[in-house]
Order: sequence, then structure tokens, then C-alpha cells
Amino acid sequence: MTDLAPITALGGSLARVQSFGALAIAENADLALASLALRRGAAQPVPMGLSLPGPGLWHAGNGIAAFWTGPGQWMIEAPGRATEDFAAVVKQAAPECSVTEQTDAFTAFEIASTAGAGPILALMAKLVNIDAAAFGPGSATRTGLEHMSVFVIRRAEDRLAVIGMRSAAGSIWHALETAAARLQGD
Amino acid sequence: MLIPHPLLGLRDAQEFTYLGDASLLNRPDGMAEGAAEAFYDYVYLRDNPAGVHRELWFHEQGDRSWLVVTRNTVTHEILGAELARDVALAAKGGAQ
Repeated sequence: MTDLAPITALGGSLARVQSFGALAIAENADLALASLALRRGAAQPVPMGLSLPGPGLWHAGNGIAAFWTGPGQWMIEAPGRATEDFAAVVKQAAPECSVTEQTDAFTAFEIASTAGAGPILALMAKLVNIDAAAFGPGSATRTGLEHMSVFVIRRAEDRLAVIGMRSAAGSIWHALETAAARLQGD
Repeated sequence: MLIPHPLLGLRDAQEFTYLGDASLLNRPDGMAEGAAEAFYDYVYLRDNPAGVHRELWFHEQGDRSWLVVTRNTVTHEILGAELARDVALAAKGGAQ
């Protein structure tokens, strides 16, 4: 049988991690994603004990997390479960909803700061046209980043996640890397 | 230009794409009397007001919702934004 070696969205055998002064950018290859949409007139579920957040918000709990993507739509995240059939687990937890596997459609980058919120806000100001000061922990939104559509999640004061199209992983990394490197140079 | 999204607050107009006059929501009944004339009007004839105008905008790099934005075409002032779904449902008497 052919010996197939799994690679990440950026093409490496290991997820890429790079530091830029106080900021570290890491490819998150282990994040499982599934979208969940309400059908007409359906009640909002509480999948796996996680209450789904309102517009513009992200909420974590019970080992998973969810963020709002549109009216009656959410993306469910499960750290470390990319190799499972996570969509099937979500569907089982919310059988009345439309659930679609998204793990292989997107790629996630986790940005961590060792100097508090400052570097995260400075990076956001360079990258996205969102009011960074009003985008506190627990905020999530879709927006444009260098003409690509991405989800931006403020996981904590000092942590930001950017989730974008998997096929554009290299371009997203380039955008993040360039902005972070320039901040370091300031 | 910032558009006051009813769910997400002020958002950059670059995240949106523009369709046109919000009267496009009022699609004529194709089976009614004089449908050809009504569709001719619906498809080809547009008012082009200098002043307050109601327009359809799509939040493409956002939550993918359609909005009805009220805008002054002379000053570019945005006077308000509503979800197009709510506008259409209200026009139909609130029925789902």
C-alpha cells in the first residue's frame, strides 16, 4: 500500500510556529470545525452543553467552542480533534440542525502575545478594519484580510485566532508574518 | 463609509457589495394580469433620486446578510440599515 504522509495546510509535516518579539504565530492543524445552521422555525440547540453565542461573539465550554457566523448559524470548534469525524458528533448532539464538516475547508492560526493585549491590538490595527479596542475577549467576526475572507476570534486579552480558507493558508501566513515582523521592527 | 449593521454595529462599506434599489424586494406576481408590463417595469425601470434612497447591500465579507440601507445619494450620509429579511417579512404581513 502507498505510504501516505499527512501534511498540514502549509505543507509541512509539523505545524509551523514562529515568534516575532512578543508575538508568536502558530498554525493550528488540530482544530476540528463543523458549521451548524438552524432550520426554519427550529429552536436553538445547546450542543454538548455549550450555549451558542449571539451576534459577533465566541463562547467556549465543555472542551469545545462556538462562534456566531450569521443569523441562525454558528461554527463549532473542537481543539485537538481534527482527525475525528467531528461533524457527526455535532449532528448527533443537534439532530434537528443542518451540520456540515468544515475542518478541511479552513485553516486556523493562533496568535499569542507575551506582553498582554498591546501587541494583539497593534497587529489587528495593521490587518483588519475592525475596531480593535471594542473587539474584546469573547468577540468573533468575519471580515476581510488582504482581500481574503477570514474569521477573527479574540480568545483572550493576549490571544487572537485567524481562521481562513485552507487553500489560502500560505497567503494568510504571509499576511500575518509580514505584519508581525514589521511590528517587531518598530 | 461605515454601515450600521443591525446585528454587528458599524462596519466598513468595503465588506459589502451593492445590488441596487430596495424596490427589487417587491417582485411582481408572474401569474397576475399585466405581468409582462409589471416585469418590464421591475427589471428595467429604476428611479434615480438625488437624495434619500433605499438600497440593497450584501455583507459579503461578514455575516452574509442582505441589508436595506437608507442613504442620501447627495451627501452619502447613511440614515439607517435594516435586515432585508425583516423588511420583506413585514411587507408580507409578518408571515414566515
